[in-house]
Amino acid sequence: MRPRVGIAAAAANVALALAMVATVAAPRTVANKQKKDTASQLEQGNKLFHAKCGYCHLQGGTGTIMLGFRLGKDKALLEDRTDLSADYIRHVARAGIGSMPRLTRIEVPDSELNSIAAYLTRPASARAAAK
Amino acid sequence: MGLVLPPGVSEKTFQQALDAFAGVVGKEWVLATDEDRDTYLDAYAPGDAKDHVAGAAVGPQSAEEVQAIIRIANERKIPLWPISRGKNLGYGGCAPRMTGTVVLDMTRMNRILDVNEQFGYCVIEPGVGFFDLFNYLQANKIPLWMSVPANAWGSVAGNALERGYGYTPYGNNTNNICGMEVVLANGEMIRTGTGAMSNSPSWHLFKYGFGPSWDQVFVQSNYGVVTKMGMWLMPEPEATLGLSMQLPNPDDIGWAVDALRPLRMNGVLAQDPSLGNSIRVVTVQAQRSQFYQGDGAMPDDVLQALLKKFGLGWWGINLRLYGYDEINEVNARLIKEAFAKHTDQEFAVSKWHKGEPLDNSGAGVPTVAPLQAVNWRGGRGGHIGFSPVLPSSSEHVLKQFHSTKKRFEEVGLDYFGSFTLSERYVTNVNLMLYDQDDPAMMSRVRTLFKVLVADAQKEGYSEYRTHLSYMDEVAHTFDYNNHALLRLNERMKDAIDPNGILAPGKQGIWPRALRENRA
Repeated sequence: MRPRVGIAAAAANVALALAMVATVAAPRTVANKQKKDTASQLEQGNKLFHAKCGYCHLQGGTGTIMLGFRLGKDKALLEDRTDLSADYIRHVARAGIGSMPRLTRIEVPDSELNSIAAYLTRPASARAAAK
Repeated sequence: MGLVLPPGVSEKTFQQALDAFAGVVGKEWVLATDEDRDTYLDAYAPGDAKDHVAGAAVGPQSAEEVQAIIRIANERKIPLWPISRGKNLGYGGCAPRMTGTVVLDMTRMNRILDVNEQFGYCVIEPGVGFFDLFNYLQANKIPLWMSVPANAWGSVAGNALERGYGYTPYGNNTNNICGMEVVLANGEMIRTGTGAMSNSPSWHLFKYGFGPSWDQVFVQSNYGVVTKMGMWLMPEPEATLGLSMQLPNPDDIGWAVDALRPLRMNGVLAQDPSLGNSIRVVTVQAQRSQFYQGDGAMPDDVLQALLKKFGLGWWGINLRLYGYDEINEVNARLIKEAFAKHTDQEFAVSKWHKGEPLDNSGAGVPTVAPLQAVNWRGGRGGHIGFSPVLPSSSEHVLKQFHSTKKRFEEVGLDYFGSFTLSERYVTNVNLMLYDQDDPAMMSRVRTLFKVLVADAQKEGYSEYRTHLSYMDEVAHTFDYNNHALLRLNERMKDAIDPNGILAPGKQGIWPRALRENRA
C-alpha cells in the first residue's frame, strides 16, 4: 500500500521511530534474586515491547488509534493499561485481533512474548518505581 | 490449521525434512504447530486465507544456514517460500503462493553489515527493517537518507525486491539495489556484479559487472534467495523545499500530470510525487461509519462535506525539492509557473535546512500509521491493491481514473487511488479497503479485482506487483507471441531450479513438476 499521510504527521513519525529505541530507566535496586529476576524480565519486556510492538502501539500508532476507537482513549495505550492479563496478551499476539496481523514465533519467540506480557501486566509497584 | 503437505510430498518425507532443518537451525526455529501455521496466514486475504497455507516455517540466522536448508529441501523436493520480514501486507503478507510450502523466514537475519558514508550505501541482510536502518543512521549520526514506503513495518531489502516505492529522489527502491549475495536452488552461493570478483572494491558502487547483469533477475522472481544486499542511500541534502496544494476537482489530476511530467523528465523535480485522492488522508484519521452508514459507495455530497470538514481538496499534491536553497528556489519557481497556467491557487511552501529536526524535511522517516486505512470499513479490516502502470499523460490518467472509480462504485466501494509520477510513467495504486467478516463485500472485492485486471489488459496496462491470489492472472496478461516471456521465465526456472523448490508460483512462474497448480 502506498497512501501517504499528510506532512503534519511527520513530526509524530520521527518521535515514534526514535521512541522505539528509547532506553529504559533502571529499576530500583532490590534485595533478593527473585525480585532482581522479575525486575530484569520487566526491563527486558519494556525494551521488547518498544522494539516489537512499538510500530503500532506507541503514541500515534495505528494500534493505539484503533484501541481508542474501540475502547476509548483511556484504554488506547497498552503501556498504560492495568486491565490486561498475560494470557490475553499472548492470545492476541498469536491469533491477531481486528486488522492486527498475527505475530509468528520467529518474529516474537515465546520467551520474548512472556517478557512483553509480564511488562504489560507489571504490578503497580513497578509502575511507580519507573516514574 | 492442521498439517498441510506440499503436493507430492509424503508426511514422512516432510517430517524428515523438518527434523533435518532443526539440525541446522535448532528445534526452536522450526515452526510446525497448528498455531504456527495460522500465524503465517495472510492477515488481509481477499479470498479464503486457506488458499495459501504454509506447511511449516524455518528461521535461519545466517546465509550458511540458508544454504544448508536449501540443500536439504532440494534433496527432498520440499518447496520453500523465502520471506524477509513477512510484512508484504496487501500482497499476501508472509503466506506462500502454494499451500504446503515451507516459509523460509529470514527475520532473524537482521544484521546491518556495513554503512559506507563516503560512497553512500549500506549492506544489509533481509531481516533488517526500515526502523532498524533508520535508527542505526540516527544513532550513529550518519548523514545518509533512506527511501521509506508508506507502511514501513517491513524489510528494506524485501521491499526493494518487490519493487516498492518511497518518496525521496531515491524513491524507486529497486533502482537502489547494487550488488547481492544470492543462494541458488542447489545451495551454491553467488555474488552479482563485481562482487563476482573475490577482491572488488566496487561491488556496491557499479551495478553491472561484466556480461549479463543479474541483480534485477532476482527481483520479483523465484530464481534464488537473496541473503545480502547492497543498497544506495541518498546523501543528506543541504536543504529541502516542500510545495503542497489541494486540487478541488476530480479532473484536475489530468492537467497536473501533464504539467509535472516535463519537469520530472528534465530533472527539475527529482522525486516521484504521489498524487492521491483525499480520502486516503481521511482513512488514516477516521472510520467510514463516522460519516456514512448507508450501502454502496459514499455519495458525492457526503464525500464533499467530508473533504470540507478536513480542509481537503479532491486530490492532494505534495512535491519536494532536495539540494541547495538557491537551486530549490529556482526549481520551485518553474513548478509554480507551470501550475499557474491551470490554477489561481498558490502552493503552500515549507522549508528545511540541514541540522534542523527531520520533521517536515522530506527525509524517509519510517511509520506504520498509514496502515490505519485498513480499518476504514470497520470489522476485521484488510486491503488489497490493484496497481497498473500507464503512460504519464492526461489522456491515459483521466481515462483510467474514471474507469476505475466507476468500477469501485459499481461494487459499493469508496474510490481510493493515487498516481505516482515517475519520469515517463505513472503507477496507479488503487486500494480496496474491506471488512473481511462481510462475505458479501469480500465477494464484490474479488469481482472488482478481476474486472480491473481485464479492463487494464484491454488498455495494455499491467500491474507492477500483485497479491498471491492474482499472480497467475496478471502474468497471463503478458500475452505477446502466445506468452513467450512466461515460457522463457519457466525455461529459466527449470534450468536453475530443476526440482522446483524455490517459491513455486511466484509471479506466475511455476516449475515443471508443479505447473498443474497454476490458477
